[in-house]
Amino acid sequence: MQEAQTTKERKGFSGLGRRIAAYFKALPGRIREKFALAREILSQGNGKVRASMLFMGAGQLLYRQWAKGILYVLVEIAFLMYFILRGASDLLGFFTLGTVESNAWYGIEGDNSVIMMLMGILAWIALLFYAVLYIANIKDCYAIQCAADTLKAPKSFKKELSELLDKKFYKTALALPIVGVSVFSILPIIFMILIAFTNYGGDIVPPALVDWVWFDNFGRILTLGQFAPTFFKIFGWNIIWAVLSTALNYFAGLGLALLLNKKCVKGKTFWRLFPILAYAVPGFITLIAFKYMFSYGGPINQMIVDAGGTAIGFLDIDAKWTARIIGLFANAWLNIPSSMLLATGILSNMNTDLYEAARVDGASAWKQFVKITLPYVLFATMPVLISQFIANFNNFGIFYFLRGGLYMEGYFLASDTDLLINWLYNMSIDNNYYSIGAAISIIIFIVTSVISLAVYVLSPSYKQEETYQ
Amino acid sequence: MKKLKIKPQKLFNVAITYLIILAVCFVFLFPILWLVLASFSKTGSIYSFEGFFPAELSLDSFKRLFTDTALYNYPRWFLNTLFIALMSSLIGTSLTILTAYVMSRFRFKTRKAMMKMTLILGMFPSFMTMTAVYLMMTQFNLINQQWGLILIYSAGAPMGYLTQKGFFDTIPSSIDEAARIDGASNFKIFVRITLPLAAPMIVYTLLSSFVWPWSDFILPQLLLKNKDLYTVAVGLMSLDDTEFSRFAAGSVFIAVPIVVFYFALSKFLISGLSAGAVKQ
Amino acid sequence: MANLSLKHIYKVYPNGTKAVNDFNMQIDDKEFIVFVGPSGCGKSTMLRMIAGLEEITAGELRIGDVVVNDMEPKDRDIAMVFQNYALYPHMNIYENIAFGLRMRKIPDVKRNKQGGPVLDRAGKPVKVMRRYTKEELDEKVLGAAGVLGITEYLKKKPKEMSGGQRQRVALGRAIVREPKVMLLDEPLSNLDAKLRTQMRSEIVKLHDRLQTTFIYVTHDQVEAMTMGTRIVVMKDGYIQQVDTPKNVYQNPSNKFVAGFIGTPQMNFFEGTLCRTGERVEMRFKGSECPVTASCDILGKAIPRYLDGKTPVWIGLRADDITIGAAGEKERGATIRVKISHTEELGTETLVYGDIDLTRDTFGESPTQVIMKAAGFENFRSGDVVDAVLRLENVHLFDFQTEESILPRIPKYNYLSCTVQEGRLTAAGIELTLPDAMQCPDGAYELLLPTDAVTLGGETEAEVLSSETADGKPLARLNVGGSSLFALIDARAGEKVRLSFDLKRIALRQNGEEVVSPMPLMNSVVGTFALDRVKARPQEGKRGKVNAYSFVIGGQKYRAPMDVAQKMFAALSGRKAFTAQFRYEFTSYDLKISEHGLPAEVEKVLDYGTETFVKCKVCGSDFYVPVTGDVPRSICLEPDFEKIGVTETEREIKIV
Repeated sequence: MQEAQTTKERKGFSGLGRRIAAYFKALPGRIREKFALAREILSQGNGKVRASMLFMGAGQLLYRQWAKGILYVLVEIAFLMYFILRGASDLLGFFTLGTVESNAWYGIEGDNSVIMMLMGILAWIALLFYAVLYIANIKDCYAIQCAADTLKAPKSFKKELSELLDKKFYKTALALPIVGVSVFSILPIIFMILIAFTNYGGDIVPPALVDWVWFDNFGRILTLGQFAPTFFKIFGWNIIWAVLSTALNYFAGLGLALLLNKKCVKGKTFWRLFPILAYAVPGFITLIAFKYMFSYGGPINQMIVDAGGTAIGFLDIDAKWTARIIGLFANAWLNIPSSMLLATGILSNMNTDLYEAARVDGASAWKQFVKITLPYVLFATMPVLISQFIANFNNFGIFYFLRGGLYMEGYFLASDTDLLINWLYNMSIDNNYYSIGAAISIIIFIVTSVISLAVYVLSPSYKQEETYQ
Repeated sequence: MKKLKIKPQKLFNVAITYLIILAVCFVFLFPILWLVLASFSKTGSIYSFEGFFPAELSLDSFKRLFTDTALYNYPRWFLNTLFIALMSSLIGTSLTILTAYVMSRFRFKTRKAMMKMTLILGMFPSFMTMTAVYLMMTQFNLINQQWGLILIYSAGAPMGYLTQKGFFDTIPSSIDEAARIDGASNFKIFVRITLPLAAPMIVYTLLSSFVWPWSDFILPQLLLKNKDLYTVAVGLMSLDDTEFSRFAAGSVFIAVPIVVFYFALSKFLISGLSAGAVKQ
Repeated sequence: MANLSLKHIYKVYPNGTKAVNDFNMQIDDKEFIVFVGPSGCGKSTMLRMIAGLEEITAGELRIGDVVVNDMEPKDRDIAMVFQNYALYPHMNIYENIAFGLRMRKIPDVKRNKQGGPVLDRAGKPVKVMRRYTKEELDEKVLGAAGVLGITEYLKKKPKEMSGGQRQRVALGRAIVREPKVMLLDEPLSNLDAKLRTQMRSEIVKLHDRLQTTFIYVTHDQVEAMTMGTRIVVMKDGYIQQVDTPKNVYQNPSNKFVAGFIGTPQMNFFEGTLCRTGERVEMRFKGSECPVTASCDILGKAIPRYLDGKTPVWIGLRADDITIGAAGEKERGATIRVKISHTEELGTETLVYGDIDLTRDTFGESPTQVIMKAAGFENFRSGDVVDAVLRLENVHLFDFQTEESILPRIPKYNYLSCTVQEGRLTAAGIELTLPDAMQCPDGAYELLLPTDAVTLGGETEAEVLSSETADGKPLARLNVGGSSLFALIDARAGEKVRLSFDLKRIALRQNGEEVVSPMPLMNSVVGTFALDRVKARPQEGKRGKVNAYSFVIGGQKYRAPMDVAQKMFAALSGRKAFTAQFRYEFTSYDLKISEHGLPAEVEKVLDYGTETFVKCKVCGSDFYVPVTGDVPRSICLEPDFEKIGVTETEREIKIV
């Protein structure tokens, strides 16, 4: 059994290895294929296509495609205006991050490095969009040439517009989401990644000039006395927390679903309402309620006092493990309901023949669970399990609401229940350690992605892709 | 005769099952019950409770919540939250559904790359971008603007398209093909076939994208500095320690609509959650 | 209500797999065509290409007279029925059927408030497109529902209906638009066996009633046999055979078709054939008992298989192997079989056995045999019995290529002949070999193509029998005692005179070709180019217009527009100008002229009545008919209207 396990694992990894090897082996061919069209356009394109290469829309106009040509020309003019008026200097500012220091004495309004970086990234993204449109323009002109050369009527503008609702509906539909995600997700992420390589934060905030420091921040986190001990302590606890809370939520949710799924239970919908109630109440409300419940003057302590005991500081500054365990259960209380609903959905899709077969074979209830239910549910929910793990790894709310704002000795701007994400918040939002915070974010990203990739590769979903399909 | 006889072992099994269920339900109910009763407390502070529950019940807290608006303008917060959550939910849901439909039904060159990209982007911790978003909002002049929040909530929504895509994947493609042969364009297919079929999924998406802004605390706290613009979450957090029953009343008041929604839609909830789990 | 023409249709996926290969077919109006084959054979892909759900990589698809390659499905005037019905779950049955009508606009004239037509300045009614009115919708939907007997369900939702009813709705949705072509993609495979049989006959009746073209895809050969007017058997993207169910059953063109069509599956034995005089001896591998039969059954077989050494596949259907009834034994062709087990079917019994008596008959074996016995008869496992073979229904296939060696129209006549001093003598045939065919004296095998025999000439012959195969007249002739096949129209018993097209004859000695037939297809590799030329005034255009040319050996030759159109249809974008092509010309389409392809004459081939020259054109051999003397360097002017074009990289035949 043990042996079989290890060979399976090896298979998982070598399969991945083989796929990576195959990917790189096929890469030159794929690159050649990617540029095949470019080569074709360069060698086959006629003068009008070349005109479009020089100025967007020129070729379209020469082919008498007025509406499209004018649109492209307008786009080109808009972009050129943008780049002349501010884009070009933004692009440059991205590299220098400002050269003029402000000086109130002389009334010099200096460069704001951070804004320059932000606008620089925006300008780069704009440049990317411009390039995409430019290439689309050349391809379009070449397509007109192809049609003209091969006796086909070129598409009318009206036809192309109607295609945007049909064949190319995906372009129409994705335009807004892509712009939104680019501006509000990608841009900030790039910005913060880049911030991790600067000295932004602490004393160095505008009007002071920010500069590139490359990997210094990572070095400081991992080695400097100020950050390193805190980082490793929090990191260790964060891992324990993520594993424990994910496992607890997942299995308790599955158990609850199985319990309510039992044949002898009547009124399943009614019983299910209780977990759903817990699921529905906004998390921050319940967390604050828990905080009050466990506080010194809270009802639990009152009962203890009434019973003749002394009040316990459940969430106090020295209550390391009680606070952690309360956090674990509070989190379970919040998340078990969704696990349960998920498992209920999965179980209702499950083929009951398997159970019948198992019963005929004489398997006990526990055997049925281990051999049939668990593998099936694990397989079906592996992606969700991974995302739950990541969500727990980055679970900001629990300790922010239960124990927010505590800074402890031995920790730099953090407490012993804080996770990396809380530390990140304390550093960058509350205390202006922007670049260090950004570097921590990147470390969190690396850790979570490596773990989820490894879990996924080793998971039954990956190994036995065909078994359940 | 045989039929009536229940094996004692089975009876024991059933009893244990119900016992566990009752215990679990109690665990889930108790904190909420406590909160609800606290909201009806007469004195307002938990320090005056006897044991777990308030000694005297009254509607005072709710009355004060809506009338005593000088310091804590709860009705205002409530309307703010409602506006932000409704708008973000509507815009976010339409973007998410569109994205999911496209990703499920179309095969275009950049599709795989985009799907991988969203997976990778999802790995970044969400607070990482707070600073950048804040700076950006100052640049766009959207600090202290409700639309700024709506913009952020709805722009981020399409990133979570996977659940919806999983649902669309279960609609057989031959239905689309039949409609194409019947003469419908892809837009018409989307509007007349896919959307009606996806009604449960749309309800689920509306609900889940409503709940997030409804109960989010971090982003409004960062972007709304003006007390009159506060959302309920920020407002409740700003309450004084001694105002516990007011907190409880405010919480109960915003929790009730969601709880009602969830109860009514618990079926969709189950199918929605498990649709997202379908392996890619 | 339309015919379909499919020419050189290919489906090539980006990774290079060819799902459909050079699919050629003419489908007449009102035919019921069935595409049948195992899964992955390309039948569904082909159907989806006709529907417009998949793009056609290359080739030309016409519905009616219109090339529909680039048309949207909705504009092709087709309807399709899917395997999983594909009904719209949220609409009731009425809406499901009406949806296709609602999506469409119909031409009408503009009407004023009184309902009269609005006239334009010229006094003609103004044309507009409008949607169907409610009354029209009602009429059409109720009509279709009536035909299929689903009128009472119109208010129901699909999920409230049974599988058979749903399939009827799907059919209703298809017929309500009165399409030119109905496409059905395995519509019955989700139904249970009984319902399937019932729906089968209903679809056939529907076809009779609608009088429109049906194309039906299935993997079930019983459906194919019972429903189609013609069957297209496919495998691995290639058409294996296109014919009527009867012909496919009786004359399968290869072992695959033979094995695929008919239940139980045809028995195949590895064996050899040995011809001695008028008898043929068949030996089965694994069996001790050879059988002999009259040579008649092998009439069209290719002689080289009859040497007793070359292995062949011998195919016999279970119907043609009977056991039990003792009286039939007299007919001679019997084989000993060891019985393994039986299946009682009521009217008859299927008996499984093995001709290899030493084998333990469990599981598959190459010598397994399935036989039929009438009624209930008792056989015990292990019994050894005599099975009677009805050898007139035998099917023979090449061992390697698995092609039939009993073609309906034999390609060649094989005769033995001798050559002496330039004269060829075969039984009843005497020919003077022309200069081009001179060869040393000796005995040869003569390969005479069946279509190289024509009426009117020296040789006398008697028509033994005549038939029509694949739409061509085929006569079996007796020429001086040996039989000869020819594609001529003649009645049995008639006396005819024959002549032979000498340039098509081959002579073989010990398997080597001594005299080869003259290749009549000449090919050369070249490219294709675009020129901008001044428009001729009669074209009504000014300035420059496009002109296209074949580029062969650096020279340009103006290409006809319709050929260019076909090339553009097959190759997207400007690939036509970058790809390489093989241009083919038949010899008779090449003329010696002042200008054209420069050619170097290498050899003059004199066939008596005709003279050809062999010449080199850009490195390829060309054979051209000539009259009189020719200089060493000539120019060939091809008839470009009749050019054949093949794209060389993917081997896609375009014209």
